[in-house]
Amino acid sequence: MIRFNHVTKTYRGSTVALKDVSVDIKRGEFVFIVGPSGSGKTTFLRLITKEEVAEEGEVWVAGKEVGSLAPWKVPYLRRNIGCVFQDFRLLPTRSVYDNVAFALEVIGRPRHVVRSQVPQILKLVGLETKMDRLPGELSAGEQQRVAVARAFVNRPLILLADEPTGNLDPGTTGGIMRLLERINEYGTTVVMATHDRQIVDSMRRRVIEMGQGCVVRDQARGVYGMVDA
Amino acid sequence: MASAYVLRETGGNLVRNIVMTVAAVVTMAVSLTALGGVLIMRQAINKATVQWQGGVQLAIFMNPGASGQEIKAIGDELHAMVPQEVQKYWWVDKQKAYAEFKEMFAGEPAFIKVMTVQQMPPSYRVVPAKAQNVPQLAAEFNNQPGVHKVGYPQQAINQMLSHFSTLRTVALVLAAGVMVGAIALIVNTIQLAIFSRRREVAVMKLVGATNWFIRVPFMLEGLAHGLVGAIVAFALTYFSRGTIASFVGNNSLNYGAPLYVSPHEAVMTGVFILVVGMLVGTLGSAFAVRRFLVV
Repeated sequence: MIRFNHVTKTYRGSTVALKDVSVDIKRGEFVFIVGPSGSGKTTFLRLITKEEVAEEGEVWVAGKEVGSLAPWKVPYLRRNIGCVFQDFRLLPTRSVYDNVAFALEVIGRPRHVVRSQVPQILKLVGLETKMDRLPGELSAGEQQRVAVARAFVNRPLILLADEPTGNLDPGTTGGIMRLLERINEYGTTVVMATHDRQIVDSMRRRVIEMGQGCVVRDQARGVYGMVDA
Repeated sequence: MASAYVLRETGGNLVRNIVMTVAAVVTMAVSLTALGGVLIMRQAINKATVQWQGGVQLAIFMNPGASGQEIKAIGDELHAMVPQEVQKYWWVDKQKAYAEFKEMFAGEPAFIKVMTVQQMPPSYRVVPAKAQNVPQLAAEFNNQPGVHKVGYPQQAINQMLSHFSTLRTVALVLAAGVMVGAIALIVNTIQLAIFSRRREVAVMKLVGATNWFIRVPFMLEGLAHGLVGAIVAFALTYFSRGTIASFVGNNSLNYGAPLYVSPHEAVMTGVFILVVGMLVGTLGSAFAVRRFLVV
């Protein structure tokens, strides 16, 4: 589903963000990307959505090499990828329902699809009673659920989550993680960058650890820190 | 779905930045009104000088009742003057004269009603070889049998044309200057709209909206500025076309009848204004979108 083939990415000012990274993520996997700040986790995710372009190597997503993808095809690539962020990125002036519906409307989905999909997905994330609220009236955990609903409403093949629990307390975090697991059970490949040792250790999923732009560990049922550390 | 979305977005943008929208529309309207005014004046002049086009500087009007022989005699004489004194000449019969008359006095329907084809003086139109020969030629034909009178209103025409040329320069400079302002306002308004909607734009990019889908509402906003400004300019030029035509002066050629532009011609000018307005609005917003909207 996602394959990095000797990928190197350098930002202006010659900061090396990724150095010769090769990773293969299969369909339906749940993968944690861990590592200190500046280790290249976010760059890894941004290369998948072609928000950044690698200068060396290939990034394959859903059978296409992203680096050589024509610019007009990029939106169609992104329709297969849902994204969740630490800061939610909801539209503050639109209701919960409209935030989720927006994601379908702007890719031209017909109205009847929007009307049937949005309540369904909000039920999945447990917000069916708060559809008419504004994001500002919700708790942080609830806001992140809206963001997950928006990312998943188009049933993407891949869900990318960049520190999705970074702003949440431990209790709320558990809820979001169960939600991501559930989405993963539907067959969506989930890639989550995180700092949260507890989550990683408790879930025992594949862990890719980054350090200074390199993959320093890739472990099938890993924990946050080095096992022998 | 998609079109409903686009219209809603465009409408929302227009209302959100109402002050900037009004500024852009008003300047656009002023510029296009000046441009339209020039066109209206030119149409009025074309109408007033319909007998004096194609280099004609001299018209030998025959009596409506002039005999064929008299007409032929004048024609023969003109023929003999080609090419030394007369560059070319042609005959305008009563039918054509009536058509010209209707155009010249289109603003005076009551006058047209009482005149008939038979009352029209047919005429020879003469393009002289040298302009300074005109008074001499006129004197030569003035007292010939069958000739009603010889007209050579070049001075009056030149006066009108030079007056028009001044007005045109002023109006076009005004139109161009204000147009630059209008474009700047449109670009700035679209830039503001893009900025105030940057969250939406970011989300749209995130979920895979196509670049055109993101751009179109902003471009339509610019088109709307141009279109609304043009509609205002259209209305202004249409309803004040008589006043605008009178700026050129009274029509001393046609017995002081006021210069006139028909509704049909004013509408043609209006359509041109609409096209220019929409084009400028769209190009302005396209520039803003290219410059400020990273997709």
